[in-house]
Amino acid sequence: MSWRSVAAVVLLVAGGSLELLAVLGLCVMRDAYDRLHYLGAAGYGALLIGVAVVVRESFSIIGDKSLLVGAILVVSGPVLANTTARSFLVRDLGDWRGESGRRGDGS
Amino acid sequence: MNEWEIAAVVLGFALLPCLAVCLLAEPRSGLVALQIGGVLTSTILMLLAEGFHRQPFVDLAVVFAPMALVGSLLFARLMERGL
Repeated sequence: MSWRSVAAVVLLVAGGSLELLAVLGLCVMRDAYDRLHYLGAAGYGALLIGVAVVVRESFSIIGDKSLLVGAILVVSGPVLANTTARSFLVRDLGDWRGESGRRGDGS
Repeated sequence: MNEWEIAAVVLGFALLPCLAVCLLAEPRSGLVALQIGGVLTSTILMLLAEGFHRQPFVDLAVVFAPMALVGSLLFARLMERGL
């Protein structure tokens, strides 16, 4: 077994564990705001698995595209979490700034 | 079965809790479960491409990841308006 295979398996297990941890957090947390935090962790798990594919395959077509998918998921995770939290705040409070924002406006 | 296919199967089973949260929890938690399920599905497609050495699976993942982002943003926007 070459060092590339060992490194790929280590990265694969790390990425898979991170994604399983995200699913566990989704199930265990009580509030939707708490559950949102695990979206970013799942993206990093996908990136680790993409890196594992590159380590195993080198820069082949599958390796490059896996790295691209991992990068997309890492970048989109925090964007999605912030946008979704903003939508939840607007739904709950009528304004994404919440109570403190309303006090700042003087209303 | 190689290690990539085993990881794909494990993550496939991890989709079941996401489905359960989508069906049973409040709509806001369901949206979060949908987003995490999208990340899992993209990862599973990557793993299948590597496990079977079939490039079309990773092409699906490349298309699915941005589409899942757009779909989730759309759902979030609709939920803001009281869906």
